Amino acid sequence: MLQIYKRFWQVNWAEHWQYRANLMMYVLYGLVSPVVYLAVWITIANSQGSVDGLTANDFVTYYLTMLVIDQIIADISQYYLADKIQDGTLSSDLLRPIHPVLTQTLIATTAQKALSFVALAPVWMILVLLFRPDFGAVTLTSFLLTLPVILLGAAIAFLLGVSVTCLAFWTTRVNAIIDLYDALIVLFSGQFVPLQLMPAAIQAVARYLPFQLFRYAPIETLLNHLSPADLARNYVLSAVWLALALFIFNRIWRAGVRRFSAVGA
Amino acid sequence: MKDDILVEQLSKTFQVPEREPGFGAALRSFFHRKYRDVQAVQQVSFSIQPGEVVGFLGPNGAGKTTTLKMLSGLLHPTGGKARVLNFTPWDRNPDFLKTMTLVMGQRSRLSWDIPAADSFLLNQAIYRIPEADFKHTLKELDELLELTPILRKPVRNLSLGERMKCELAARLLHRPKVLFLDEPTIGLDITAQARIRSFLREYNYRTGASILLTSHYMADVTALCERVLIIDHGRLKYDGSLTELSRRIAPFKLIGVTLGAPCPCDLGRYGTPVHGDDGDGKQFVQVKASEVAAITSRMLADLPIHDLTIEDPPIEDVIERAFQE
Repeated sequence: MLQIYKRFWQVNWAEHWQYRANLMMYVLYGLVSPVVYLAVWITIANSQGSVDGLTANDFVTYYLTMLVIDQIIADISQYYLADKIQDGTLSSDLLRPIHPVLTQTLIATTAQKALSFVALAPVWMILVLLFRPDFGAVTLTSFLLTLPVILLGAAIAFLLGVSVTCLAFWTTRVNAIIDLYDALIVLFSGQFVPLQLMPAAIQAVARYLPFQLFRYAPIETLLNHLSPADLARNYVLSAVWLALALFIFNRIWRAGVRRFSAVGA
Repeated sequence: MKDDILVEQLSKTFQVPEREPGFGAALRSFFHRKYRDVQAVQQVSFSIQPGEVVGFLGPNGAGKTTTLKMLSGLLHPTGGKARVLNFTPWDRNPDFLKTMTLVMGQRSRLSWDIPAADSFLLNQAIYRIPEADFKHTLKELDELLELTPILRKPVRNLSLGERMKCELAARLLHRPKVLFLDEPTIGLDITAQARIRSFLREYNYRTGASILLTSHYMADVTALCERVLIIDHGRLKYDGSLTELSRRIAPFKLIGVTLGAPCPCDLGRYGTPVHGDDGDGKQFVQVKASEVAAITSRMLADLPIHDLTIEDPPIEDVIERAFQE
């Protein structure tokens, strides 16, 4: 199996290398929102001294960390899977004796993210020089505690993202549904603002949804802002959502492929 | 001998949405969508023994591709049974997928941005082909298809014929025992078609693989298949040898003429006029094969002929005629 992953990885990098300018544009596009949010909140924090106790440095460290976390966790499987379902080219993948999503799509997204880091690194360094964040709160322990949170978050984001994309088996076009799903992520993940600045009702709902595990939980774990109880709670929530996401994906995929092969692959 | 492919009463009905043209109809269909049942394949039965090469013929929309997709596991049937190498295809058992292949001439599975050699390595991993077997098979495929000069070019830079060669090689690296080929020579020039045909014949000879082949090129069928299945409107109309098929159909040819000067000639005097497809002023008459020489001589003597061709009728006409008679 490792050999299959390795070969997919090599093929994907070779393909991406053909379109390196496109990859660079993709990375730069991903920078826009966080940098805008960052600039807005720094301005507000500087003018007021702080926003609900969050200083300008809190915003800088939060959004600069998010740029990295977002690159790792954000699900981009729709770009590899949605069109294949829509135009029927998925049928070629279904003829192979492997699971198309858990091999090809998974590696395609992972390989793209790895390459994106090469483009992101220098830009991130420039932003660090511009905003001069103080990452003094980050410790080796908080870093190590963050790694499983990131891995779990990435796995859940991938499985749920793929499940949403698989709705294309029924709707053919799935872009609008994915946009709606992405809007939920922006609202409940802490991507727009750190969750503690959101209205209480949204915070209460967000505590049980998987989306905060995609941004807020790993960022706050790394920045050492969470209590041991919150850390433990996030691990439990991640485990529960991973199991749920696996179940949801498995059901949707099986039903979707059955429908795909019923209506004409 | 045990059959490689066994099909019993296989059927497939699609539900196809349809509506009247116009904005109003579009709006109504948003709330109340109408569907029509299309019976693509109806109670088709046949069997294919190991090593057989069988032509699967029929006009467009006859149900050929649908049948191939069911037999390769891409489509669930609405009725009937099928066994391929003792597997039920639509269970999509990985062991089944490793022992067969489906080649669709109009769809490429190779990645366009990288050389075919990279896709071959990927297939080696996916099908878990041991290194020694991989090298041996690739060498063999290279001998048959002359792949070396094209393996390192990105697929998008290959000609259609070169791409088809790579496509076939990619699908055969794991040495499948059953090949489903859907129009493998479509769009290729005569030389490339001949090369692919000779390759398939050799592959069948060397490996003993069973082949079920659809094609609109009669030359593919006559070169490769002793037996043909004919399907029309989803129903199997004929299962037997090509010789028997030719015997059943009154043999005829098409004489195509382009006249050098306008003339009020009645081509009906020489045979049955039929419509040509070329739109280049060429007119066709259908005549019995045994009378071609005599009629051609008469036409050359009577008419101001600029160009004259003698052609086999299109395969769809042959099939259509087979059931009209």
